[in-house]
Amino acid sequence: MTTIRRFSCNDLLRFTSVNLDHLTETFNMSFYMTYLARWPDYFHVAEGPGNRVMGYIMGKVEGQGESWHGHVTAVTVSPEYRRQQLAKKLMNLLEEISDKIDKAYFVDLFVRASNTPAIKMYEKLGYIIYRRVLRYYSGEEDGLDMRKALSRDVEKKSVIPLKRPITPDELEYD
Amino acid sequence: MASKFGLAGGIPERRVRPIWDAIDSRQFKNALKLLTSLLSKYPKSPYALALKALIHERMGKPDEALAVCLDAKDLLYKDDSSLMDDLTLSTLQIVFQRLDHLDLATSCYAHACGRFPNNLELMMGLFNCYVREYSFVKQQQTAIKMYKLAGEERFLLWAVCSIQLQVLCDKSGEKLLLLAEGLLKKHIASHSMHEPEALMVYISLLEQQSKYNDALEVLSGNLGSLLVIEVDKLRIQGRLLARARDYSAAVDVYKKVLELSPDDWECFLQYLGCLFEDDSMWKFFDDIDQIHPTKHIECKFSHLTEEMFDSRISSASELVQKLQRDTENSNLRGPHLAEIEIEKRKFLFGKKNDRELLKSLLQYFLKFGHLACYASDVEAFLQVLPPHKKAEFVGMLVKNSDSVSASATIELGQTTTILKVQELTGNIFELPLGEIEASAVKLAKLYCQNLPLSKDLDPQESMFGEELLSLISNMLVQLFWRTRHFGYLAEAIMVLELGLTIRGHVWQYKILLLHIYSYIGALPLAFERYKALDVKNILTETVSHHILHQMLESPMWVDLSNLLQDYLKFMDDHLKESADLTFLAYRHRNYSKVIEFVLFKERLQQSNQYEAARVEASLLQLKQNADSIEEEERVLENLKSGVQFVDLSKEMGSRTLRFNEDMQTRPWWTPCPEKNYLLGSFEEFSYCPKENVNKDREENVRRAIQRKSLVPRMIYLSIQCSATALKESVETNGSGGDVKTCGELKSLLEEYTKMLGSSFSDAVGMITEISQGARTSESLGSDLVDWLNFAVFWNAWSLSSQEHWHVLNLLFERLILDRIKSMGSSDMSSCYSDVQVLVQIITEPLGWHCLVIQACTRSSLPTGKKKKKAQHSDHLPSSPMTQAVKDSIHSLCSTVQEVSTWLTNQINNPEDAQVEKFLSTLKRNEDAGGPGHVLWVLESFIASSEESEVGSRIFEALKTWSKADSTRKTVTAQQKLLREFLQICESKRELLEKLKQQMTHV
Repeated sequence: MTTIRRFSCNDLLRFTSVNLDHLTETFNMSFYMTYLARWPDYFHVAEGPGNRVMGYIMGKVEGQGESWHGHVTAVTVSPEYRRQQLAKKLMNLLEEISDKIDKAYFVDLFVRASNTPAIKMYEKLGYIIYRRVLRYYSGEEDGLDMRKALSRDVEKKSVIPLKRPITPDELEYD
Repeated sequence: MASKFGLAGGIPERRVRPIWDAIDSRQFKNALKLLTSLLSKYPKSPYALALKALIHERMGKPDEALAVCLDAKDLLYKDDSSLMDDLTLSTLQIVFQRLDHLDLATSCYAHACGRFPNNLELMMGLFNCYVREYSFVKQQQTAIKMYKLAGEERFLLWAVCSIQLQVLCDKSGEKLLLLAEGLLKKHIASHSMHEPEALMVYISLLEQQSKYNDALEVLSGNLGSLLVIEVDKLRIQGRLLARARDYSAAVDVYKKVLELSPDDWECFLQYLGCLFEDDSMWKFFDDIDQIHPTKHIECKFSHLTEEMFDSRISSASELVQKLQRDTENSNLRGPHLAEIEIEKRKFLFGKKNDRELLKSLLQYFLKFGHLACYASDVEAFLQVLPPHKKAEFVGMLVKNSDSVSASATIELGQTTTILKVQELTGNIFELPLGEIEASAVKLAKLYCQNLPLSKDLDPQESMFGEELLSLISNMLVQLFWRTRHFGYLAEAIMVLELGLTIRGHVWQYKILLLHIYSYIGALPLAFERYKALDVKNILTETVSHHILHQMLESPMWVDLSNLLQDYLKFMDDHLKESADLTFLAYRHRNYSKVIEFVLFKERLQQSNQYEAARVEASLLQLKQNADSIEEEERVLENLKSGVQFVDLSKEMGSRTLRFNEDMQTRPWWTPCPEKNYLLGSFEEFSYCPKENVNKDREENVRRAIQRKSLVPRMIYLSIQCSATALKESVETNGSGGDVKTCGELKSLLEEYTKMLGSSFSDAVGMITEISQGARTSESLGSDLVDWLNFAVFWNAWSLSSQEHWHVLNLLFERLILDRIKSMGSSDMSSCYSDVQVLVQIITEPLGWHCLVIQACTRSSLPTGKKKKKAQHSDHLPSSPMTQAVKDSIHSLCSTVQEVSTWLTNQINNPEDAQVEKFLSTLKRNEDAGGPGHVLWVLESFIASSEESEVGSRIFEALKTWSKADSTRKTVTAQQKLLREFLQICESKRELLEKLKQQMTHV
C-alpha cells in the first residue's frame, strides 16, 4: 500500500526514521529546496498507511544534446519497508518521467564502489557500470557512475562503458 | 545595459574579474588591494564601491561595509548617468542582505525602477527584493507591471502566487482570489496556458474559492492535456468531484486510479470516503498542519440506512476482491489491507463483525506478518478494538504462529511482529512479571539462533532479528518499572550495547540507550549516543527533543551550548535563505513550490522548540556568567536587558506554536520530553497512544516559554533594585530600589505567578508556608524551580524586608537539604531526578540570588570603579539589611556546602566498587526469576559461538564484547556529570566566601 506522490517541504519533517539510517545523508535545506524548486517532478515520496514515509527519491534532469539525462541523486527506503521492491518502484517512476516527459537519453547515478548491495540492486534494475570515478566521495572512496539507456537512445550509445576511470574534475556535471 | 558591452557597472570586465576571483578564493586582502587601485581610476563608480563593501563584509567589518554601501547608494541616487545596472544593484543587494538591511536594498531597486520604468531586469530585481521581505502586495504590484510590459505567462503567475500568499499568510480578503481568477481567465482566453504548473495554480485558485465544478471543467478541457501522467490527473479529478460532493462520479474516478495503481492506499481511503458520502477525509485537505501520522480516520455513517450501507460495502468488497485477483502474483499489501479496512468500517457501523475483523487481521498476518511493517500497517485497526478483543487477537497470533511451520526468516519476522503488536495494544503491560521475563529470555534465544542468518550480510545491511533486542530492552525497562530492581535496567543497557557491538549502525538502539542513560544520570554517555545519530540540518528540528530537555537540566554547559547553537544556527540560516529559494522556485516557474516554501518557512518560524531554544540559549549564558556580576551585566546588555524576551512572553499568548518534533521515535516510557513514566509508579500508568502527545503539550510548552522569557528581565531589574538598596536602606531606611524599577519588577512578578497558576499574594503565602515547614515542597509540583525563582525575585523587589530574606534562606535550605536527606547514600542511578532538580536550583534561583547579593555588596564597597560610592560606604553603619545580606550569605554557604559534601562522597566512592555494585545487580539467580537471565543467554551464546557459524565479522565483533567495559563507561559518565556539578557548586561557594569576606568590612 504505497501512495507515491510529489515530495513536499512538510515531508522533511516526517522522514526522520528514514534519514536516521546511517546510509541516508541529511543534506542542508538549500540542497533539498533547490531540487524542489527546480525539479519537483524528480522528487517523490512513498507513503504508507497512517501517512508514514516509507522512502523517497530525489533527482534532476540536466545535460546538453545527447547527454541530456535524468540523474538519481538519492534513493532511500526505511528499514521497516525494505525487501518489498519499493526502491524499484521509485526508480521506475523517475525513469518514466525522464523518458516520457523530459525525453532524456539515459538515467545515471553514482554509488560508492564498496556498496555492493546497492550496486547489485541497480544492476537488477538494468543499470550498468559506465565508468569509475576516482576518489569521488570526499576524496577517499571511488564512485561508480551507473547508467541505464532510455527509449530515445535507440542505439544505446550512452551506456557503452568507458575503458578508463576518470577523476572528479573530469565530470561534466556536479 | 552597460554590462552588455563587456562592461560591468561601467567598468571593463577584465578589471573586475580578478577582484571577484580573489573574493571567491577568500583572498580578501588581495581583493582589497586590487580594488583600491580600481577605485583610484573610478572613484565615483557605485559598482566599485559595492565591491568594496562586499569585501569589507566578508572580512567581518560590517560597520565599514555599511558605510561604503550607503556611499554607493548616495552615488546611485545622485548620478544621472545610466550606471544603475542590475549588476551594481545586485552586488549592493548581497551586502545589504548580509547586513540585515533588506529595506535599503529594496529602496535602491525601487529607485532604479523609478528611473528606468521599462527595464524588466531591474523589475525582476525589485520583485526579488519584495520576495525577500515577504511583501506580498508589492510583489503582486511589481509582477503585474512586468506582465503588462512583457505579456509573459510567468509574470502573471508570479502575481497570482503573490495574491494567494496574501490570502494564506496575511489573511487578506478572499475577494482578491476573484481578481486573480479574472486575470488568469483573460490571459487564457487570449494566450491559452502552456505549463502544467500554471494549470495547477489555476486549479488551486479555484479550489481555494470552493469552485470545484469550474476546476473540473478546466481539467477536462484542453488545458487538462498539460498533465501528462494520467494517474495524477485522475487523482485531482477525484478530489475535486469529492469536494463538490459529486460522490458517485468520484467513486468511478477513484476506481480507475485503483485499477491503474492498486496499491495506492490513500486513494483507496478516498474511494471509501466517497462511497459512503463521508467528507471527513477532505476536512483536513487545506490544513497544512498535517505532518504527524494520522492513525485514526473518522468515519461518518449516520446519514446512511443499513440497506444503503450494505449495498455500498458489498460493492467495495467486490472491488477489493477484483484488485486482489488482479495482483495475485505480486506481493502488494494494499488490496489485502483494504479487506481489513472494509471489516473495520462494518465494525464501526455496528455490524458486530468483530470475529471477521480479527479474522481479516489474522489473514493479513499470515500473508505479511513476517514483514517489519505489519504492526504499523494494522495499528489503526487495532485501535478500534476494545481491550479484550485486542488481547484475543494477540492470543490468535501466538496460536497461529506456533502452528505454522515456516522458514527461519519468516518465523523470526512473525515472532517479532507479535511482540510489536503486544506493545502497540498495551497488552504487554498486562502480563504477569514471570511471563514477560520468560518472553524476554525466549526472544534472546531466538536472536542467538538466528544470528547465523546474517552471516554473509554486508555490514551496511540491517541484520535479521535486529528489532528483537529493542523489544527485549523495552520489556526489561518495564520490568524495572514494575519491580524497581535496578538489575533490569542494567540488563537493558547491556542488551543494547551488545547489539551495538555486533552492528554499530542501529539507530534504534542508540535512541533507547540515550534515554536509559539519561534516566540514570550517565548523561555524558547519553549525549555520546545522541551524537552518534549524526543529527544535523532539518533533523535538529525533528530529533533534538531526544536529548535537549535532559541537557537543559544538567551541568553539561559546554555540550548544551553547542547543541543549542547548532540548532539555532540551522533555523536562523534557513529563515534567512528561504526567500532566495522561493525566488528560485519563481524563476523556474514551479509556482506550487513558491506557496509551499513560504508556508514552510512560517511553520519553522513558529516552531515551539525554536522559541524555547532562543530563550534557553540566553538563560544558559546568564547561568554561565552568574558568578561575576560584571560578566552578567555584559550578557544582559547584549540581551537588551531582557526587554525583547518580555515582549515575546506577552506575544506568546496569541502566537501559533508548531510542533515539528517527531515523537514516534521515542521509547514507550517517555512519549514526550516532559513525561517519563519511570519517575512514577506502575499503578499510575494508563496506556497512552503517542498520537495525543502534542495536544497535551501545547499549553504547557507555551506557558513554560512565557515564564522563562520573563527571567532575563527580572534578573536585570533585581540587580538594579539591589544596586542602590543597601545604600538607600542606610540613608533613608526606605524600601530600596527606585520606584520605576521596582514597579516594573512587581508587575513582572505578578505575570510570573499568573503563569504558575497563582496570584501574587497566594504565591507569597505558598513560599512562606513552605519555608516554615507548614507545607511540603511537593505542593510546588514540577514547577519547583520556577517557584524558587519567584521567591528570589520577590525578595529582590522587597530587599528591605528582613523577613523576606529569611523566608528565602529557609526555602533554599529546606528544598535543598530535604533532597539531600532523601537521596542519602543511594547512588546516582536511583536518584538522578533529584540531582537534576538540585542542578537547577543551584544554577538558576540560587545563582540569581547570588547576583542580588553581589549587587548589594558591590554598592556598599569601596572599589576602584565606584569611588564616589566608596566615600559613602566607608562610613556605612551596619544596617538591618546589611545583616540580612550577611545572614543570607552565611546560610547559602552552608547549604551549598552540603551539596558539595554529598557530591564529594559520591565521587570518592571508588570506581571499581561502583562497577562491582553495578555488575552485581546483573547476577542471575538460577533457580528464580529476576534480572540477568537474558544477558546470560546472550553471553553463553557468545562464549560458544564459532566463526563458521556466524561469519568472521560477527565473530570478531562478539569477541570484543565486555560487560565490564560497558559498566565502567556508564559509571565514568555518571562520575563525570557529578564532577561538573561539583565544580559549579564549588565555584558558587568560593563566590559566597569572597562575598562573606567583603561584607566583613561593612
